[in-house]
Amino acid sequence: MLRDIFYIFRREFYTVFRDYAVITFFVFLTLGYPLVYTYVYSCEVVREVPVAVIDNARTPLSREFLSMWDATPLVDIVAHCRDLEEAKELMNRKAVYGILEIPADFSKDINRGIQAHVSLFCNMGALLNYKALAQAASDVSLAMGKQIQVQGMDYASRIQESIKASPVTVSEVKLFNPQGGFASFIMPAVLILVIQQSLLLGVGTIAGTARDRNRYGRMIPANRHYRRPWCIVTGKACLYLLVYFVMAYWVLFIVPRMFNLTQIAGKAELMLFLFPFLLACTFFAISGSFLSKEREQPFLLFVFTSVPLMFISGISWPREGIPSYWITFSKIFPSTHGIDGFVKMNNMGATLRDVLPEYVALWILATVYFVLACVLYGFQLRKR
Amino acid sequence: MNSINGLPALMKREFRRLADRKIYWFMMILAPAFCFVFFADLLKQGLPVKLPIAVVDEDNTALSRQLSRSLDAIAQTEVVSRTADFSEARKAMQRGEIYGIFHIPRDFRQEVSAAGQPVISFYTNDTYLLPASLVYKDMRLQAVLANGAVQQTLLLARGQGGPQLQARLMPVSVDTHPLNNPWISYAIYLASVLMPAFVFMFAMFTATYGIGQEMKERTADEWLRLANGSVSVALLGKLLPQTAIFLVTGLLYLSVLYGYMAFPLNSGFFPMFLAMVLLVLAAQGFAVFVTGATRRNRLALSACALWGVLSFAVSGFTFPATSMPSLIQVLCYLFPVRHYYLLYVDQALNGVPLYFSWQPYVMLALFAVLPVLVLSRLKTDLSENRYLP
Repeated sequence: MLRDIFYIFRREFYTVFRDYAVITFFVFLTLGYPLVYTYVYSCEVVREVPVAVIDNARTPLSREFLSMWDATPLVDIVAHCRDLEEAKELMNRKAVYGILEIPADFSKDINRGIQAHVSLFCNMGALLNYKALAQAASDVSLAMGKQIQVQGMDYASRIQESIKASPVTVSEVKLFNPQGGFASFIMPAVLILVIQQSLLLGVGTIAGTARDRNRYGRMIPANRHYRRPWCIVTGKACLYLLVYFVMAYWVLFIVPRMFNLTQIAGKAELMLFLFPFLLACTFFAISGSFLSKEREQPFLLFVFTSVPLMFISGISWPREGIPSYWITFSKIFPSTHGIDGFVKMNNMGATLRDVLPEYVALWILATVYFVLACVLYGFQLRKR
Repeated sequence: MNSINGLPALMKREFRRLADRKIYWFMMILAPAFCFVFFADLLKQGLPVKLPIAVVDEDNTALSRQLSRSLDAIAQTEVVSRTADFSEARKAMQRGEIYGIFHIPRDFRQEVSAAGQPVISFYTNDTYLLPASLVYKDMRLQAVLANGAVQQTLLLARGQGGPQLQARLMPVSVDTHPLNNPWISYAIYLASVLMPAFVFMFAMFTATYGIGQEMKERTADEWLRLANGSVSVALLGKLLPQTAIFLVTGLLYLSVLYGYMAFPLNSGFFPMFLAMVLLVLAAQGFAVFVTGATRRNRLALSACALWGVLSFAVSGFTFPATSMPSLIQVLCYLFPVRHYYLLYVDQALNGVPLYFSWQPYVMLALFAVLPVLVLSRLKTDLSENRYLP
């Protein structure tokens, strides 16, 4: 029996490393794709969004508001316009993504003790641009408001003034992703998905190629070593796992370090968590490979699934907003639990005990998909 | 001239090939329809509501309780736990149960009265960027309001109430106008690009795979013969039936987006219809181009897969392309979905006059005519039934 497993393992080794298509998925895709993807988002945050301003007041106070806004890292004033029409023209040409208009009686209102309003118009094509502009404007209006309040008090000491203007100090802390970076947020999920999907594509290619080459479209060679389904699955899985121990280290440990992404999990503990994830992915890929009827089909079947999987994992879209049946559906994919656990440990410093539900789920999935793969190979054997 | 006469026969042949195999049904109808239904259903709320947060109230006075109650009253957040223990809340956050913590310190009420300037802190878990930014907004608003409430008490005590109170509390206010998406709905920009990006991907796959199959099954020479040796007629005969089916799929997503989900369509139907048609043609043009350029079906499919998947990132609908590294800012123009996204922003969302958008339309059309670069090469490969695994 052990000899069968070893024979299948060795044969699978040659299959994998003699086929460029499989190497592409197992090695080049896992090596390169995370780099490209992280590079795309490597700027992490939106900065210096170009805007146009219309200053109808033309007073020192209005100029101060604009220069404070311009001084924030989020905003870059590239044009001063005479009226809204001119600014809208710039917006249509995509020279600017926002317009700030200061009304003529801006300073007059403030000095008379009436609330002054400035108008901010945002192009909603990219929500992050809108968020940057709105937040910067609100920051500036609060800061300026405080100044005005202090000036309005013509008695009392400086300290007393500032306390009156803001009796409560507010401190805001972004945990686990201090700059609110986009790569730090999306990459952990992408990295986990790369592992599952590349395995699915690679093993699918192996299965499809075997069917292409066999005259009767069978996946198992006529060979006395291929007798027991569980030996076939184990032999194949051992090789894939061996390759993916190396690749997963690259994807999940080295790539994040190269791009300075958050990594606060204990290495050993994280590896302990990832082991059943790799097992589950491997057996999931072997089971899934039965869908691939020929060499080219894995692309057609599996590539598009990455995007829905990303969304139901609870990263791109909060779990609270996902209908419960999709949540249930998502549980059958290793990536869902893998992303959940990996993000909690790697980015939020959770311990293995904290992610126990995910850990257990991955072991269950590994078992289920192992059994499923054996059953499917059993059918194949019976056909022979 | 007489080669074009073979076109009806070629198209009939292609329709039969498409109908014959399940994989085509999967790529052209089943999988796109699944994606449309999936995302339409997932994003139907537009904005997630009732995001869980925790309030750590170490003060536990009427004032602090009022603060946490009004935080709960905001639609987007839901206070799921009130505790006096910060580390308990922190652990809940690490388990992913809450997205934010609103912390009111011990002796808050007392410090306020004694002008001790107590600190209200709020924490967001930015590992989950979207919910974090939503609860951030609410908690920040609440903190500002807390300031206002305290000030209001102080001002009223000095007899400075009335119409000037508002101006006193907030002398400058910003009126934000999120143009054409006043609900700040995430669904609008996500679904509007996700759905066409799937159509783009499957149209590429179908074209590439279809041509590859001819060579693999050694029927390419017969296919070419039916077109009287004209490779462009052969390609037309193969691709037009696929175009027709994908246009139906495209109309399906247009009606889901702008009919069923009623997203803004401010330039009317035609500009987005044109964008959809050009996107399908661009997908097919790109597919034929890589098929001819790589001469190997597997590599061509790899290129299509890479283009399809990267489209989701570089089109810039989640993270603006203008904030990407400058190399990517240039390279993103090689992705048709990027141009489609620009058209969607201009035409569907903002309804700007058509002449501002001529560039993306032209770019998409350019992708559609890419095959002319590889026609002669493709002809050799087809007549030789050249299949490389």
